[in-house]
Amino acid sequence: MKMNSKEILSLDSLKIGYVSGKNENILLPPLTASANSGELIAVIGRNGIGKSTLLRTLTGLQQPLGGDIFYSGKNIRDYSRMDLAQKVGYISTEIVKVSNMRVYDLVALGRFPHTNWIGKIEMNDYKVILDALKKTSMEPFSRKFVSELSDGERQKSMIARILAQDTSIMIMDEPTAFLDVAGKYEILHLMHMLSNKSDKTIIFSTHDLQMAISQSDKIWLILDNKLIEGAPEDLMIAGAFDHLFDSATVLFNSEDGTFSFRSESKGSIYIEGEGYKRHWTEKAINRAGFTVSKGKTIPYVITPSYNYNFWQLSGQSYVQKCSSVYELISYLTREVIRPI
Amino acid sequence: MVAIFLILDIFFGSVSIKASEVIRAIFSNTNSNFETIILKFRLPKAITALTVGVALSLSGLQMQTVFRNPMAGPYVLGISSGASLGVAFVILGFSSNITPDSLNGLGNWILVAASWVGAGAVMLLIMVISSKVKDIMTILILGIMLSSGISAIVTIMQYFSNETMLKAYVIWTMGSLGNLTANQLNVLLISVSAGVILSLFSSKMLNALLLGENYASSIGLNVRFARVVIFICTSILAGSVTAFCGPIGFIGIAVPHIVRILFKTSDHKVLIPGTILMGGAVMLISDIISQLPGSESVLPVNAVTSLIGIPVVIWVILRNRKYSGPF
Repeated sequence: MKMNSKEILSLDSLKIGYVSGKNENILLPPLTASANSGELIAVIGRNGIGKSTLLRTLTGLQQPLGGDIFYSGKNIRDYSRMDLAQKVGYISTEIVKVSNMRVYDLVALGRFPHTNWIGKIEMNDYKVILDALKKTSMEPFSRKFVSELSDGERQKSMIARILAQDTSIMIMDEPTAFLDVAGKYEILHLMHMLSNKSDKTIIFSTHDLQMAISQSDKIWLILDNKLIEGAPEDLMIAGAFDHLFDSATVLFNSEDGTFSFRSESKGSIYIEGEGYKRHWTEKAINRAGFTVSKGKTIPYVITPSYNYNFWQLSGQSYVQKCSSVYELISYLTREVIRPI
Repeated sequence: MVAIFLILDIFFGSVSIKASEVIRAIFSNTNSNFETIILKFRLPKAITALTVGVALSLSGLQMQTVFRNPMAGPYVLGISSGASLGVAFVILGFSSNITPDSLNGLGNWILVAASWVGAGAVMLLIMVISSKVKDIMTILILGIMLSSGISAIVTIMQYFSNETMLKAYVIWTMGSLGNLTANQLNVLLISVSAGVILSLFSSKMLNALLLGENYASSIGLNVRFARVVIFICTSILAGSVTAFCGPIGFIGIAVPHIVRILFKTSDHKVLIPGTILMGGAVMLISDIISQLPGSESVLPVNAVTSLIGIPVVIWVILRNRKYSGPF
């Protein structure tokens, strides 16, 4: 096995799945992948393919059915429960529902593998807990009950709990699943900061492909027949994400990582203009089922600029001024494609 | 506070004794009838009440955490019934000349051990079921079914047993704090002390289990070991009490909730001592009420604990509908 100096985790032909009775139900072909210290790694794959099972196996909640997991070169089978808890922290999609538990108590539970038989919080533990609360900006909430928190605040306290656990690796199963857009980006920002500044290796699963592509250092893409790993850009260039979609209906754009629905073009339109107004106008025209032509054709749209504050749609026999993209698109679909 | 109730419990009884007589009985040798009543009956009974309250409440607390079920308790989940089946086997089944009154030292340990086994068997069954079924109410209904099933078995055993054995058993089921011999009280005290020590040892594990098995395991808890420790602890606590005092209802389920409301915490380092104190206090109060101070009649203590416990349980059920989570 080759050993990179920064390599903190490696999977070697790992087989994951469930044992029921005498039957082993192996979910995926043997997985081989690795993670370096301080990396933010997104695990991508369609629903039910085994992302959660993989993360549970990495946390030691399930036994590998074959192959090996190495943390800092040491096999996971050689770690005791306590030692592993000092190496790897875990957040699942399971919501902790305990009344009368304060945020501080939840975070303090992260000290479990570090405290004595009765769980006494020493000065040093207290400092770590306080630091975890600060890093997640949950300090003002420390006396609040966990049951009173919003989804985002609860997720931040769970992250604070892993920080208190003081592990170099954090495993998170869909950490942004329940959150609204603002909460999602806040958590993502936090994860980013922890991997960048605190050198935490974070392995998280997500369904938000665009977020994964734009934010993670590495992607483990789980497909039916293999795991592909690499920088998001590498996978993009290799066209790896195409396998995720039913290519007959969904079109993945390898240039900007967006996807759209494949449909018959209703016609082509030329756009004159530049900047973000042009960008969004183009998007809307694409969504309406038109292609954007490269050379000047008729009909064409002029997007607003410093001497216009409207969209002007010009055809062979008409010129239409529209005050919004919405108006432009309604006019296009109503008037232009109407059969003549 | 517990000390006050302990003292009050000694002062009140079906024979009214003046306070000054009580003090004289305890601290001097008057050799009066009062002294006999105080030292031979009321003091042991108060100590029994204290011990029973502590044991049942602690086992309730542990069950609630380990099953993540606010409705768990030795009585409702059928653990007490299991223990009573063990007792029934000893009293009705094997030997025709064992009755609770005639039990000698070894016999008491046999009785208590049978009770542990009975409690443990039901506890094990509930643990297996609750690892498969997560729904709180389903487990609760299963517990009630289990209790009913066990009562049915015991009824059949009663049908086939002779009159003396039957009488001994029926008296036992009525739940009493006052009928313990000195030897039985010793056995009870030793067993419950062991359970209490074990429960103090389990507080860190219980805290971790609050998060659920997966999280508990991910922060380094050996969940199987923790379950075994708590399983043994609960069986000893609930089993010992049931062996000597019969099934006493609703203390185990209600007291931990009262403590949670008072202390507003989920930390077992606080909850366990709190439950020990509150359990003792509530049981002593129940005993005082059951003496009907001022009158000469005595109520069955089981009726009093039910009347105290049931409102708490109903409150928890109603609150839980709103929050739909454990505790």
